[in-house]
Amino acid sequence: MSEELRLNITSDPANLAEARRAVEELCARHGFSAAAGADLGLCVNEAVANVIRHAYGGAKDRPIRIDATVESRASGAIAAGKQSAVELQVRVQIRDWGNGVDPRDLPENAKPKDPLKPGGLGLICMQRMLDEFEFRPQTDGMLLEMVKRRAVE
Amino acid sequence: MADLNTNSNLIPSARMEGDVVIAAVDGEVDLKNSPDLREVLLDLINTQKPKKVVLNLSKVSYMDSSAIAVLVESLQKLRKAGGKMCLTNLQPRVRGLLEIARLDSIFVLAKDEAEALSK
Repeated sequence: MSEELRLNITSDPANLAEARRAVEELCARHGFSAAAGADLGLCVNEAVANVIRHAYGGAKDRPIRIDATVESRASGAIAAGKQSAVELQVRVQIRDWGNGVDPRDLPENAKPKDPLKPGGLGLICMQRMLDEFEFRPQTDGMLLEMVKRRAVE
Repeated sequence: MADLNTNSNLIPSARMEGDVVIAAVDGEVDLKNSPDLREVLLDLINTQKPKKVVLNLSKVSYMDSSAIAVLVESLQKLRKAGGKMCLTNLQPRVRGLLEIARLDSIFVLAKDEAEALSK
């Protein structure tokens, strides 16, 4: 049931659609609803766009690595001794070698978002659409990990 | 009614009806082409000085936050001149993103161009 996807792209906005579609198709192959796949695809789009704009300052020729893995996992219900349940999850890691700034530290994300002020919507999408996401600063850039789950019947 | 030349694949058709610009966006919009959308929309607003822009999004199955930012910038430019912006024929993903951005109550939303013209 597991599957891995590896994408090495440059920081050109022309590559956004390819990355998004690859993740959406991965989700579809593993029974995620179209809406769930679209949510994860949008979050990948927003994360990569953030890398392009903020970590790389708009440069189009810098490297971005996207790793997506489908994993099955026991849900919390098993640990609690209740009805057994299994979840499937797609874990996406987005690695850049940019300035290492955590987008949550940007001024535009420091306070509740004004809908009419630019910026910050990508982070809101991650908060609303993902089960988990975490920025992990690296010595030479940033690793963002995102997880989207679905229950398995 | 007057057809407007946009020279853009993203907004292949636009027209002026009275003081309203009616334009249709064609295709997915992300950071790759949102600068093009910005250029066309702001040019239409600057040159036509409409009281209202009706943007038909029936052929937009996807847009990201950069596209939303262009719509907001256009709306604010219109508002400064006392105008407004109406989005029609929204597909579910686009409507969902507008709701998450809490913009669904800031733009005028309509089911089609006819309803948009009456609002």
